Amino acid sequence: MKGLGRQAILYAVTAVVLLWTLVPLVWMVLSSFKTPNDLVSSTPRLFFAPTFQNYVGLFTGGNALGGYIKNSLLAAGASTIIAVALGCLAGYGLARSRFRGKDHISMWIISTRMAPIAAVILPLYAVFRALDLLNTTPGLVVAYLTFNLPFAIWIMNAFFADLPPALEEAAMVDGATRFGAFWRIALPLTAPGIVTTGILCLVFSWNDYAFAQSFAGPGSQTLPVAASQLITQTGINWGQLMAIGTIVVLPMIVVGLAVRRYLVKGLTLGAVTGE
Amino acid sequence: MLLPALLILAAISLFPFFYIVWMSFHEVSLIGGVSFEWVGLENWTELFTDPNVRSSWIVSGVYFVATVGLEMVLGIIIALLVHELIWGKNLILSMLLLPMFVAPVIVGLLGRFLVDSTYGLYAWFLERTGLITWEILGSKGSALAAVVLMDVWEWTPLVTLIVLAGLASMPQAVLEAARVDGANYLQRLRHIVAPLISGVVVVALLIRSMDAIRYYDIISITTNGGPADATKVIPIRLYETAFRFQELGYAAAIGLGMLAFSILVANLFMRILKRQGLAR
Repeated sequence: MKGLGRQAILYAVTAVVLLWTLVPLVWMVLSSFKTPNDLVSSTPRLFFAPTFQNYVGLFTGGNALGGYIKNSLLAAGASTIIAVALGCLAGYGLARSRFRGKDHISMWIISTRMAPIAAVILPLYAVFRALDLLNTTPGLVVAYLTFNLPFAIWIMNAFFADLPPALEEAAMVDGATRFGAFWRIALPLTAPGIVTTGILCLVFSWNDYAFAQSFAGPGSQTLPVAASQLITQTGINWGQLMAIGTIVVLPMIVVGLAVRRYLVKGLTLGAVTGE
Repeated sequence: MLLPALLILAAISLFPFFYIVWMSFHEVSLIGGVSFEWVGLENWTELFTDPNVRSSWIVSGVYFVATVGLEMVLGIIIALLVHELIWGKNLILSMLLLPMFVAPVIVGLLGRFLVDSTYGLYAWFLERTGLITWEILGSKGSALAAVVLMDVWEWTPLVTLIVLAGLASMPQAVLEAARVDGANYLQRLRHIVAPLISGVVVVALLIRSMDAIRYYDIISITTNGGPADATKVIPIRLYETAFRFQELGYAAAIGLGMLAFSILVANLFMRILKRQGLAR
């Protein structure tokens, strides 16, 4: 059938799309293993003797990357755990209750998630300054909660709403409390939803630059800020920059692809269900 | 069960909201703690008369239409393409999704690296082919195009992913019937596929719209608004007004203007959800 020729064309176009998508990432990883000489060569080098000097340079010396990694993990991890725990409770509450003004509550939650970051930074900056939360990891955790908490509530609401209430009702007839039904029945059944929510919260906060750059000081700076600090008046250390980029990106790709099945639901705030 | 989360959400969202409203009617000084001086509607009248802010809204508008427009068009085309593939569809989709997980600030830094006139792979290619021989981020038009394309690179996959979900959920029988009746690909696309996926396309559009005004990391790390304000979108203007010129009250008014836009998008989003019976 004529299908074969058609498929050949489709795959050729796909190859072009893949090139556009992957070349920057592959080039970033390759460049992170290049010496300054290989980086600056007048024709870009695809083949070169790889070196670890960029990574070694990042992890040694006075301003080693280890501290930034710790700050990133703490801020992103803590805000994720808090957001998911509270999000499960509230999402369940929202999914299983009907009350007047529920629409307004939903609208408030979604608006909070959509609020422009620059417009959130401004009042938070003044408040954090008054409360001495600038330059601290707890300050960053609070800042990340401004987007992670509404996100987690909203998404968990969508996952719980997909669950037939009959199971929990049966458990409650058998004597379980509302919380018992939530804890023993609803929660285990939405495990994939919880993992997806957690991973997306982690990605959003791990990848944050705007909040960290405004609120974080020497003691709480995160990886994206460390990357931006490699741009100096005297020049840019591109080799190390690409190495940081690789370190920031790789873990998120791994965890992100792990929940690919549920990504559509998570990233459309529950409006579209995939696969 | 709702209460603990909502109380915390109120503390971190409603309180800052009233705070920013309060700020917008004051001249705010950060010297020695935070102090306020009542100025009434001064910041608000400035908001509507300031030519700099107006030009930033225009830049934002151009940036918004260019990024979201390109992402929608390319995302839909790529989704249609991937949907038709037979072998390796899963692997190809996984590879196509990778840019979404890259921190926006890294996208900006990587973009800057690729178009750097000394180090850049893309700059080298463009110069070799004679297409662009000048400093890409140093010239108004190419700088704006570059930051738009960086955003397009990162977020087109999201549109692809959403539209693919819509394509996958189409009832196969209808498509098959149209095929049997002799409708060609374009006819099926127009009369069957388009109406069936219009819902998810709108969702993709709204999701992208809200994020397009939310994030400014890419521009902030590449051009920071320059050259000559060519890429100075509203959030960059706000940031500069607040933290470089220390006019926090005025910045608050600008921020509320942005917030109004995102609440509008959120409203549309809620309506779509309701129409699909998804907001319960």
